[in-house]
Amino acid sequence: MKKILFFCTAMLLLGAFAAAQTEPAHIGRVKGTSGMVSIQRAGALKPAFPNMKVYLNDTLLTGSDGAVGILLEDNTLLSMGPMSRLALDKFDFSPAQNKYALQLRMEQGTFVYLSGLLGKLAPHAVSLDTPSGTISMLKDTNFMARFGGDE
Amino acid sequence: MKRIHGLCIGLSLMVAVSGCAGKDNLIVLTPDDSGRVGALKVSNEGGEAVLDREGQALHLGDRRTSPGAPAPFSDEERALFAAALAAQPLAPVSYLLYFEFDSNNLTAESRQRLDDILRAAQERDSQDVLVIGHTDRAGEADYNAALSLQRAEAVRELLAGQGIAAESIQVSSHGEGNPLFPTADEVAEARNRRVEVVVR
Repeated sequence: MKKILFFCTAMLLLGAFAAAQTEPAHIGRVKGTSGMVSIQRAGALKPAFPNMKVYLNDTLLTGSDGAVGILLEDNTLLSMGPMSRLALDKFDFSPAQNKYALQLRMEQGTFVYLSGLLGKLAPHAVSLDTPSGTISMLKDTNFMARFGGDE
Repeated sequence: MKRIHGLCIGLSLMVAVSGCAGKDNLIVLTPDDSGRVGALKVSNEGGEAVLDREGQALHLGDRRTSPGAPAPFSDEERALFAAALAAQPLAPVSYLLYFEFDSNNLTAESRQRLDDILRAAQERDSQDVLVIGHTDRAGEADYNAALSLQRAEAVRELLAGQGIAAESIQVSSHGEGNPLFPTADEVAEARNRRVEVVVR
């Protein structure tokens, strides 16, 4: 029994260690949801809830009654309405290393973008891939956008 | 050859038609807190367009359709964004708390701001509160590094005592190295004896 306990503890510690080693830093958090909202991460779809962390390469999706707001680490605020899809392709906010990047893919739906520090410090590092083409920021700005999808 | 030509015309007609029908994509600038807008550029295979004025929208088709010129943004179009606007989170908010000289006791005035911080955290359902300690330049840098951490930890305890979950609070400290009001070394400056609290 003692041996099993020891083994379990060892596995737990190992698991915690592995998690600490591989867990990437989150790039933001879900702040509010209504209706059906999910996050697609590494091929799996999971329901989104307030204060859930979001990571690079996540895709946020809302259902026909869904809406969600997220806060990125640089204070960019993004929200979207029903039937929307947003992929978080690139995010780098490292003022100490003078490294900035924000690249989002607005695939479909309605979006509200309130600029954060990335837009203020490095507007040229902000770009959005959309079904209508590439949107690049010339001067820090808030905006709203709507896309019907690729077809 | 003729047939290929005909096919091309047919295809381009289809593209033109679907391009018109698909002009319901749009982008519009919205003002910031001070009422200003910046500028965006849309570029695709059909060309590019710049948007730099409030109340004007680019009405867009697919990637092959030229973005065209900005046109007025209608109220019906604004209504499309009602759900996304309602889902917009509250912006992070930050507070400065001040301390008595060489101590981790809050000034009486700053003590009264704790309620505001608690309210901001509740409104945001926040699990992300940053507490950042600072000192002025009176005393040794090492001593001030320790003092700034003690100040931040004192604030963490006060906030946790008020009901903000301790695991939601991240403490850091900058010693005397990040003054709000730069001074010469060894100068006591009350406005630099502070802890910044950011509620996200």
